[in-house]
Amino acid sequence: MSAFHSTKPGFDFSNANRNAFLEGKGVKMPKATSTGTTIVGCLFKDGIVLGADTRATAGEIVADKNCEKIHYISESIRCCGAGTAADTEFITALISSNIELHALSTGRKPRVVTAMTMLKQRLFQHQGHIGAALVLGGVDATGAHLFTVAPHGSTDKLPYVTMGSGSLAAMAVFESGWRPNLERAEALQLVVAAISAGIFNDLGSGSNVDACVITATETEMLRNYVMPNVRVEKERKYGFRRGTTAWTREKVRDLIVSEEIRPIAVIAGGEEMDTS
Amino acid sequence: MNSLVRQFLITDADRETERSSELTNEDRPSDALWGSQAGFGHLVEGHAFNIPAVPDPSAFLRLHTDDHADPNCKIKIQHGTTTLAFRFQGGVIVAVDSRATAGSYIASGTVKKVIEINPYLLGTMAGGAADCQYWETYLGIQCRLHELRNRERISVAAASKYLSNLVYSYKGMGLSMGTMICGWDKTGPTIFYVDSDGSRLKGDLFSVGSGSTFAYGVLDQGYRWDMTDEEAQELGRRSIYAAGHRDAFSGNTCNLYHVKEDGWKFIGNYDITKLHYDGPGAVPGAPGGGYGYDVRTDSRFSTLSEPVAA
Amino acid sequence: MPDMSAIVNPQQRQFNPYAENGGTILAIAGADFTVIAGDTRQSEGYSIQTRYAPKVFRLTDRAVLAVNGFAADGNMFVKKVKQRLEWYRHAHAKDMPLRAIARLIQTMLYAQRFFPYYVYNILGGIEEDGTGAVYSFDPVGSYERETCRAAGAAQSLVQPFLDNQIYFKNQTAAQGSPHPAHLPLPDVLSIVIDSFTSATERHIEVGDGLEMYIVLARGRTLPDAVAGLRPQELPSAGGEKVFVLKRDLKKD
Repeated sequence: MSAFHSTKPGFDFSNANRNAFLEGKGVKMPKATSTGTTIVGCLFKDGIVLGADTRATAGEIVADKNCEKIHYISESIRCCGAGTAADTEFITALISSNIELHALSTGRKPRVVTAMTMLKQRLFQHQGHIGAALVLGGVDATGAHLFTVAPHGSTDKLPYVTMGSGSLAAMAVFESGWRPNLERAEALQLVVAAISAGIFNDLGSGSNVDACVITATETEMLRNYVMPNVRVEKERKYGFRRGTTAWTREKVRDLIVSEEIRPIAVIAGGEEMDTS
Repeated sequence: MNSLVRQFLITDADRETERSSELTNEDRPSDALWGSQAGFGHLVEGHAFNIPAVPDPSAFLRLHTDDHADPNCKIKIQHGTTTLAFRFQGGVIVAVDSRATAGSYIASGTVKKVIEINPYLLGTMAGGAADCQYWETYLGIQCRLHELRNRERISVAAASKYLSNLVYSYKGMGLSMGTMICGWDKTGPTIFYVDSDGSRLKGDLFSVGSGSTFAYGVLDQGYRWDMTDEEAQELGRRSIYAAGHRDAFSGNTCNLYHVKEDGWKFIGNYDITKLHYDGPGAVPGAPGGGYGYDVRTDSRFSTLSEPVAA
Repeated sequence: MPDMSAIVNPQQRQFNPYAENGGTILAIAGADFTVIAGDTRQSEGYSIQTRYAPKVFRLTDRAVLAVNGFAADGNMFVKKVKQRLEWYRHAHAKDMPLRAIARLIQTMLYAQRFFPYYVYNILGGIEEDGTGAVYSFDPVGSYERETCRAAGAAQSLVQPFLDNQIYFKNQTAAQGSPHPAHLPLPDVLSIVIDSFTSATERHIEVGDGLEMYIVLARGRTLPDAVAGLRPQELPSAGGEKVFVLKRDLKKD
């Protein structure tokens, strides 16, 4: 086996020291796509509503105008992710997978605390190198639960939470509008208002509102629930005339190739070829 | 008091006292700011530049403008260039590219890097675009004043020394210039290389900028004193093409000037991509055809070289 | 244990009077008109400071200046340019010609060579010979007359588009019909609008509103297609005309 092939599971940190040195020298490192993001969650009478915007940025450039930030953990547990896009995607997929295995081996429906504990242990283990800031919510046998998980592994359990660069804008809406035992429609409307506050007032957040309503009986994923930022039509058409691109020389090749197949005649009286 | 009214009320003595006060030049408009004086009036007054109130002003400037040390610095001053000038039997050839870069971004592809100081003097631009543009314009004013005072044109040596002394007085402040002052005076065709470090060199052949090594390669290989005008112009063009082709910070177009006894003449502007594929067109001295493309690819272009019926 | 390194080691603080306030400006010159435009969002970091902070200013009846970069420097610079132009009016009883304003801006920027204004300027208007002109500047005063120029946050998104649509870069002309040197006003306006709607889509610091100034040469009138958009005409002494056209941009 090659010496370079690592048999250790998990992350490969072999370039970490080199990269830190290079960065110290002023070499520009490639930017990871980050979900600048507003993500929220709040409790209501029958369960949980989660919400997220759909903008992904690479620095000041919008990398994805309609990405999905509400990730699947289990049927009645979902997780919103902010921070490094790849990290939120992979950490939630991994925990989702482990939760499924756990459910299979215990024969019980998974609990939100279980997912939360698995997430925080994994994040703490990596000391913040996994750049995931999460809002985890769901309904299990013990009721509805809502957590935030910070990149270093600390967690909070609250009735209404926000995360990401738009968290302050969204929290302002929650602080003024949330009360215990909201109706489903009221809670959904509040989440939309909170996410909208992030979309319009935080440059890191934008585009559409995704929402997810989780109750004991069903989970409703409301993808692009509100679309307040539809792309406007352009004033002009930007087609190009045939022949716009310059070329240096032209060569036309015939793609139809004709071949003549001539079977080799069996030599009379000769031995047959052994084709076995 | 209204500064406008004050313009008319103030006496020279008042102004002298005021000058020594703490007010910066910016807050107190002088007569020079009013009228023409080509906008250089504030220099006549003596103090020109506002300096930040920090212990080390040049370190401050470097911190915010030096994109080599810090690619994320806010103010990106334009850099990157190829310029050349050489003396020969028929005068002086000056050729430059036209690209301005700010970091890895091509800020402009149409920069005029030859500054027409007066009908007999040309200056080239390398380093800080604003430094070269501003000080060579200023040099033009001083050259004209010299003519008016002495009833004869300034020599290239004197003009270049004026510039050299001027930038030397700002040494260490962060000016960045590498320029060639080219012209024809009583002594004949002359080139002086002047830079912001304080160097001033007289010579027959110079190239300045990030693409200079590429230009020198072609220039040294083809240079002779007894070239014809056409050969010399072609050499200048071909050298800038070579630099534009190989140096990422040079390119776009080539501007060509020829200085003769009766002053400089603009020969032409040539697209470097066009030079590569098609050459400069019907120009005396050019061999015809592209400088680069056909030479490298003709009939060895592709593995599918055998003719195929359509 | 408290961190003692701050006491043991000397602490260095640096003077940083600059901020970056986002936004984008752009100008395109036609044969007998110039369009100067800018978005109206002003931001710092991920926060919007205001959705309406003009970046484009009328200087004279035929000169319009767009400023971008550090808003405080930009506003102060425009104020000082306007002041100098007023002094010129008092001294010479006429407006300063465009090319002279360009040179004035160079000397004013260069006077701050060692303490630069963090401002990218684009000056647009009508030249004394009646042609449309655009002058673009770097922060310390290097300048050049051009046909079109974009500056600011989305410069690297907009300028390549302009190079292609205005200068016809990378477009081979059809046999017998060469590219036009100047486009008509309605075409230029649509290109400006499309530049900004596109920049708004992909750059987080661009959006909210768009202000387009149209400067028309002496004796020219707005084409019907543009008049139909109902631009606001600014009062002028006659001769050149200045119009403002406003559009909403996305606010996310």
